[in-house]
Amino acid sequence: MKCVRPYCAFVVVMLTFAGGCANKNQTTTDSGTRAVQLTYWPAPNPEEIQLADTLVRRWNLLHPDIQVLMQPIPVSQSTEEVLLAAIAGKTTPDICSNIWPGALHDYTQAGGLVELSKFPDFDSVMAARTPRDLLETFSTDGKYFQVPWKANPVMMFYNVGMFKEAGVDSVPRTYSEYFAAAKRVTRDTSGDGQIDVWMGERDIRPIWWQRLFDFFPFYIAASNGQTLLRNGTVAFDNRYAAEVMGFFQECYAKQYFPHTFFQGGDPFLLQKKATNFSGPWFIATIHKLAPYLRFGVAPLPVPDDHVGPVYTYGNYKNIAIFSTTQHPKEAWEFVKYLISARHDLLLLKIANQLPVRGDLLTNKLFAGYFRENPLMLKFAEEVPYTRGDDPAPDLKEILDGISQEYEACAVYSKKTPDEAIHDAAERTKLIVDWNK
Amino acid sequence: MKSTFNIRQALRQSDKTGFWFVSPYAIFFLLFVAYPLLFSFILVFNRWNIVTPMEWVGLRNFDRLFRDPLFFKSIVNTLVFLLIHIPLQISVALGLSLLLNSKIKFRGFFRAVYFLPVVVSGVVVTILWQQMYSFDDGVLNRLLVSVGLSRVPWIVDPSYAMPSIAIMATWKNVGIYIVLFLVGLQGIPHELYESSDIDGASTRQQFWKITLPLLNPTIIVIVVLSTIGGFSLFIEPYVLTGGGPMQSTLSAMLYIYNQAFYFGHMGYAAALGFVFALIILLVVLLQRKLIESEPTA
Repeated sequence: MKCVRPYCAFVVVMLTFAGGCANKNQTTTDSGTRAVQLTYWPAPNPEEIQLADTLVRRWNLLHPDIQVLMQPIPVSQSTEEVLLAAIAGKTTPDICSNIWPGALHDYTQAGGLVELSKFPDFDSVMAARTPRDLLETFSTDGKYFQVPWKANPVMMFYNVGMFKEAGVDSVPRTYSEYFAAAKRVTRDTSGDGQIDVWMGERDIRPIWWQRLFDFFPFYIAASNGQTLLRNGTVAFDNRYAAEVMGFFQECYAKQYFPHTFFQGGDPFLLQKKATNFSGPWFIATIHKLAPYLRFGVAPLPVPDDHVGPVYTYGNYKNIAIFSTTQHPKEAWEFVKYLISARHDLLLLKIANQLPVRGDLLTNKLFAGYFRENPLMLKFAEEVPYTRGDDPAPDLKEILDGISQEYEACAVYSKKTPDEAIHDAAERTKLIVDWNK
Repeated sequence: MKSTFNIRQALRQSDKTGFWFVSPYAIFFLLFVAYPLLFSFILVFNRWNIVTPMEWVGLRNFDRLFRDPLFFKSIVNTLVFLLIHIPLQISVALGLSLLLNSKIKFRGFFRAVYFLPVVVSGVVVTILWQQMYSFDDGVLNRLLVSVGLSRVPWIVDPSYAMPSIAIMATWKNVGIYIVLFLVGLQGIPHELYESSDIDGASTRQQFWKITLPLLNPTIIVIVVLSTIGGFSLFIEPYVLTGGGPMQSTLSAMLYIYNQAFYFGHMGYAAALGFVFALIILLVVLLQRKLIESEPTA
């Protein structure tokens, strides 16, 4: 995969440049009048494309004078690469709904985004949808360049059948309970002397974003909601982070997690592993690819002495308007349309993802959906206990540093958890200092 | 004033055809050597990720560099590679060139075969070796298992990964050094061997007392070329291991590439590049000092 990255980047740059050659600002309506044309990039997964298609069709019928062209974000290694290439080539769309807050710093530094808080009705629109304290976590020096759109709390999926078969009666809540269950579940079922069923599995390659689904949410959970940085300084050189690293080290050392890189399918869907740490979108994946699978959802395991609610990573994806737009007011109208309550319900129904709304559990509009989807209710209940990404430049490199230590400590047991956390913190300090 | 006038007059009166002849190289040099070098030098004092405007940071890139353990680890990894690769390369190339210099059947065929990997793309060669080195179903481990031996973690164990890359790089490049050694061998006067035969010298003595000393200039060229080639180790770890496991194959070039194109730190990568170029210069000068000596034969 790595070897194709330069070619992907080249294709992306060429496509974005080519896109820029088209006149995308105006189009002609059926009645012959000139209509404003906006370009909207949603995430390129099938569910979100379907959602975007539905929303854009409705919008275009209702607004003949503002026509929206939906184009999924060009496929690449990551959305962030595509958007940065587009900003460099000044070929960004008007609106994008797959903004990772961790990369926002790069976009704003490049002057690539419109300040949304300048719109006169921004405060009232946001006050009606998102709790103030949560909204403030997405501000950049008191300004807003993004609308918090959806959250995907990372939780633990477990295979009910595999637990039952191994004699695990209750869902593990703590590390000790997880290890006790792992001891029963992890075994050789075919009798060839090789373990073929594991308690869990993580990609053993040190890829930075993988840590957003293991170390980072587990650290947030263990530390009662802390993130990597506090006021721009390193805040994870502590016992919580070491406990999390120790947890994963034991998972690999006792072979509860395999040292193999699985190719040819998700091992949870193939019933090769009993637990998986993922967001609500995984429900749709299971229903589509393994409809026979009986599964449940629970909060992430926490240290044995943990007290209080179990926090997790929110994996937020937000909406932004790019500064290349020639129609910011019209683009803002479309953004407001996207985040209306009715369309948030569509986000739930079509994409199985949770809108960042304060009234998600109280608004009657959503009650029917949650009655029909009790597992999604568990994710919705977790939303108030989520944390986002640290608004730091070079978050990618910080997570890469943690990934390298995760590999050395957890996967290969070449470092103690304390050493690994200390070294990761030192590297993070180096990166943070350099960026000051 | 007089000298300026003379230059102008000389330019006016000179034949301009020469300028046209050198212009292709001059344009190439200005575009692809002088401009990138100058731009890199400016970048050294700036922070820039291509997208955001360039930001002057003075010597902060160097401040980070000297506190960056990963850069020093990548230098050590590269030196480890060189320590394995250069002796392996020289001994294999010398051995094969001695064989190919003797009167054997199909000599031309073998010379062509050994040169073949040199002309094949590095990415293709690396993907081929990736299949061969695969832990579970690679050809090498299958062979080992078939003769009752256990599997070798060629590229998945930190202590094996860099030697495995060195073996692969030797296989890829040995052809060119065979050619260089053959040139050197054919330049040794045959009379020296004839007279040593009359004096009763054995083949071993001839090798140590005649062949090797007279190949000294060729060995220097090969050591310098393989050192420079070794320092630019990139494709193999990039494709084969991505720098892992546990950064054991993170070469200096790969680290510079990652900083520039993966994390978007163009200025920092330029600073790394300049320091790395200085290290290469020092090592090559040191090598020349140590190896270069007058032939004794």
